[in-house]
Amino acid sequence: MTPDEIDRILAEAAKRASPDDGAPDAMVRRAEDAILADLRPVRPLASAWVFTMVLVAIFLAFAAVSALVLGLHGLAALDAAQIALILPALLCAAWLAAAACVREMSPAAGPRLDIIALALAAAGFPILFALVFHGYSSGDLVKEGVPCLVTGLCVAIPTGLTIALIFRRGFVLAWSAAGLAAGVLSGLAGLGTLELHCANLKAIHVIIWHVGVVLVSGLFGFGSGRIVDSYRANSAR
Amino acid sequence: MSRYQSGDHDAAHLLIGRVTPLLHRYFLIHAADRRYADDLVQETWMRIHKARHTHRRGEPVLPWIFAIARHTSLDAYRKARRIEVHERQVDSLPERPPWNPGSAANGPDLDVMLGSLPKTQREVIVMLKILGMTIEEAARATSSSAGSVKQKAFRAYKKLREVLSLGMNVR
Repeated sequence: MTPDEIDRILAEAAKRASPDDGAPDAMVRRAEDAILADLRPVRPLASAWVFTMVLVAIFLAFAAVSALVLGLHGLAALDAAQIALILPALLCAAWLAAAACVREMSPAAGPRLDIIALALAAAGFPILFALVFHGYSSGDLVKEGVPCLVTGLCVAIPTGLTIALIFRRGFVLAWSAAGLAAGVLSGLAGLGTLELHCANLKAIHVIIWHVGVVLVSGLFGFGSGRIVDSYRANSAR
Repeated sequence: MSRYQSGDHDAAHLLIGRVTPLLHRYFLIHAADRRYADDLVQETWMRIHKARHTHRRGEPVLPWIFAIARHTSLDAYRKARRIEVHERQVDSLPERPPWNPGSAANGPDLDVMLGSLPKTQREVIVMLKILGMTIEEAARATSSSAGSVKQKAFRAYKKLREVLSLGMNVR
């Protein structure tokens, strides 16, 4: 059986299932009544790159201001090669996460990027940190790490809330995907702050506790989005 | 669409008149429960109206509309599933008759054909073959890549070929 034959059978079956005589007039009238009564001009959404720039600016602002407030001890401890590898990688990851957020802001904006952003952060940064840092002794791992995790999340939370305000300008269809993308971007702001602030350059510390901020923040964003999705599904007709 | 965004009544009237039959068809074929197709069309229009500012000039309209319709259908499905969990079945429902090629005078039933496909493949076939969307449009509407849509369509055709060949052999 050729694809053309399958097409023909499908078309015939579709015609039998729903004869092509249009929607009932009552349905069209009902939709018109609901919409035409509230038909005001609206300003179309700015282009995707504008929102991407805005979100990257939010990431940079939260990461830089928080690091300045806390102290740039980490930046002082890094050598030039480490700075040249880590900061551009952070910016690229933030750009990708911002693009993922923007794609969730309007329907049919393109393939999802949220999972790619999370996968890149979860796999790419540990590899990068393993290459540029040394030291895998686990002494005081938790004692030294928990304050970093808390600091990173304290930066990620206000960043995430600011991104959520930007989301209000669009129309998010899948809040779980949007929450994941926003969580990853917020977590990257936390990670950026820690790279600039934390002077502990042990590889195991940076991989577990600094990258952990991105994972915790991403999962928190995803979970929050799921709750919003469930709420919306419940309030649907 | 841009005239609708700028508050033109005639443009809105025209858009509703053209798109409502497509939405109705989509929900009749695709929705888990056809009784609610009218309500789903209405709910989709409310969402389209609320989201109208998010359509960017120059981008295709149909994928934008069906991305919203798809999520309206998903939300309705999730809600129905949640209610089902709390429902107690008091009587057994009659079993759905399988496709009997001998009795189907005009060919196989669409429900049976689409019912043999996984949800994601079914969705792609409905968009491509029933609504007449292009691969790029279906990809945009489902937030996936054109390659992924092609792959799903290829697998769906393989499965449909099996189902239809089985029917032909019985006949």
